[in-house]
Amino acid sequence: MKTKGRTSLSALRMGAVTAIAMALVATTITSTQAAATPKFGVACTTEGVSTGTSTTSLVCQKNSAGKLVWANVRLGQSTGKPVAALTAAAGTIEFHHFRPEDKAVFQTIIDRFQAANPGTHINQVIMNSGDYTNLAYARISANPKAAVFVTVRGGQFAQFYNGGLLKDLSAERFVKQNVIQSALTPGTVGDKVYGVPYQSLFNDPLYNAEMFAKNGWTVPTTWTQTLAFCKKVKAAGIIPFAWPAATRGNAGQILNSFLMNSAPDLATLTSRIAAIDTGKADLTSDWFTDIANKYKAMNDAGCFPPNVTGYTDVVAPADFAAGKAAIYPTGTFGMSTVTNLNPSMKGKIKLMSLITVDTKPLYEGITNNTFILSVNAKSSARDQNIARAFISFLATAPIAQLYAVGTSQHVSIINVDYSANIDLLNTSDIMGKKLLLAPRFLFNNVGTVRNPLEDALIAIGGGADVTKTLADSSKTIKQGLGA
Amino acid sequence: MAIPAVAVYSFLYLYPAIQNLAYSFERWDGVTKPQYVGLHNFTYLATNDDLFRKIVGNNIRFTLIVVIFQTALSLLFATFLLKNTKTTILLRVIYFFPTILSSVSVGLIWTFLYNPNFGFLNASLKAIGLNKFALNWLGDSKYSLYAIALTQVWFHTGQMVIIYVAGLQQIPADLYEAAEVDGATRWQQFKNITWPMALPTTAVVVAYTTIQSFRAFDLVYSMTQGGPLNSSDLIVTSIYNTAFSSFKYGYASAQSIVLIVVVLLVTWLQRRTLRIDYGVK
Repeated sequence: MKTKGRTSLSALRMGAVTAIAMALVATTITSTQAAATPKFGVACTTEGVSTGTSTTSLVCQKNSAGKLVWANVRLGQSTGKPVAALTAAAGTIEFHHFRPEDKAVFQTIIDRFQAANPGTHINQVIMNSGDYTNLAYARISANPKAAVFVTVRGGQFAQFYNGGLLKDLSAERFVKQNVIQSALTPGTVGDKVYGVPYQSLFNDPLYNAEMFAKNGWTVPTTWTQTLAFCKKVKAAGIIPFAWPAATRGNAGQILNSFLMNSAPDLATLTSRIAAIDTGKADLTSDWFTDIANKYKAMNDAGCFPPNVTGYTDVVAPADFAAGKAAIYPTGTFGMSTVTNLNPSMKGKIKLMSLITVDTKPLYEGITNNTFILSVNAKSSARDQNIARAFISFLATAPIAQLYAVGTSQHVSIINVDYSANIDLLNTSDIMGKKLLLAPRFLFNNVGTVRNPLEDALIAIGGGADVTKTLADSSKTIKQGLGA
Repeated sequence: MAIPAVAVYSFLYLYPAIQNLAYSFERWDGVTKPQYVGLHNFTYLATNDDLFRKIVGNNIRFTLIVVIFQTALSLLFATFLLKNTKTTILLRVIYFFPTILSSVSVGLIWTFLYNPNFGFLNASLKAIGLNKFALNWLGDSKYSLYAIALTQVWFHTGQMVIIYVAGLQQIPADLYEAAEVDGATRWQQFKNITWPMALPTTAVVVAYTTIQSFRAFDLVYSMTQGGPLNSSDLIVTSIYNTAFSSFKYGYASAQSIVLIVVVLLVTWLQRRTLRIDYGVK
């Protein structure tokens, strides 16, 4: 994809109370549109293209008459003007997280935080995500020095909340004024905020835009088109979907897309997931069988590589990065892996919606928060002060931008400009779509329900018999829930 | 003098073991207050948990494969590496080398070797025309357990070779000299001298390998996470998942008690068999 620089326009004033968040729609300017300087209200040609993600950015979108014109970027909102970071007391605390890939950028941020707060020290304690899921609660609950830590939305956050480990952050100004309020949901219980969801990601398939353009392929927008696309791409000797089925964690990401349009509305979807999660419904239900049949249909259409159940999340991004696969169905968190494997992929990765219906989809994409930052309620007052100050530091736009660019991930902090990272900018257009908070994580019984459920879908995606696999896995889940 | 040792042992081993036993009679999620459920966890394991019974079966098969092949191979290699020459010492080092590797690294290496589409194993099989034996080793529930068992054998055989070499070197050389004078073949020497004299070492190797196999975790976790569809799940990976993914600490404790009982039983049977074989009542 050819990319030109963004163009800043004169200020488009926002309301005094409304501050900038992140752009909901943003892509790079294509060469055709860059030729004419975008102006508010003037006609444009390519829907979704934007000039950037700052307060003054414009986006090409349809107006009420259905014509494409430059409009204001739709911004997320906080409840006031962003505030500066809090000052930390002197002392040493631990920061527990599961992002070894973010260690360097976090250390840079910590160094700056320590420079701004002499006498304050933060030590990173890092586990891999699997161990963190399993062991973090036990370790942090026994360690008050772990004053700031992350949790994963859903089961783990609930576990920490139920264990009384999460300090109420509702009254903090930086929570109200620096964080996109709509992004706070995963860290909120009732009307209280117990954590700041920091990294925003989009669990939608990545595709090689250059490969699509060269081959004249268009992104499928219906289920029928998806299956036809697979046959066409496979015939061209390319793996359509580099689905890492051998690694449950990343293989499960695709489930989000299958779930998002599987029910007439969100309430129905939530209740169906809850029914399976509590054992009130089986995997053999019509609803879930239909989802499983779609995995089978993808296998039958040649969407996946051969021997997909042995295809790991080491091989899948490598194939995608090497141009052997058209689509890597994980999410934005996989972009840096791909560009690290092949730097020439920078600027070529885009996000697509995997639509599994032929009717108008209810949702067009998935969003999620990788982690939620919280303060340990069992830490000393001094350590809690340091922890709060550190989170407030992370919630300032320059630091959030440093993190975003350093990790190639979007963040839930306002005023962050992604222009410095072409891949973030290129994938920001997903934010203009109707997104669903990743439904896969509505399964709270990870070990007892979600893992066997996803194992069943992986096996079916690999060609296993739908009826038998679902029946066997249903039995396993039922027995597990009864233990 | 023994009191400090007993105190340390009690604190580090006895207390956790008793605590584990106590948890096995409780329903506990690690957060809320434990609830006493008597023998429920054990009766549920015995009567309602088909998956756990399948996993116990997996572990028994895994152990049998590993014990038989690891013991046989290590004894075979050791018989060729008895003399302390430069070559045999170098070979012992080479055989022992995998043992010092990190198990996660071994898992990763073997995951690549087993890769169905470009792995060394399938590439080799295809190169010699054995395409039909080029399988989806880790991704097919029919083969995953055996593939991991083979990795386990590769990983630990060198360790057992060293134990065997140490044991076999204790056999008096004059026994072999006398046998040679009597015209005994190499096989007869092995059958009538090496094997009976190596039985005490074999007992150690077999017991150690059995316990190692029942405690296997790292390779499974790094290669398949117990999949596909629990086909390579072993008791310890199951305990781990029950405790740390399902947060059923009481039930996981009951599973660990079952593990202890199974290991004790199997080890006792092995000891008994081997003792009978070499004449000790």
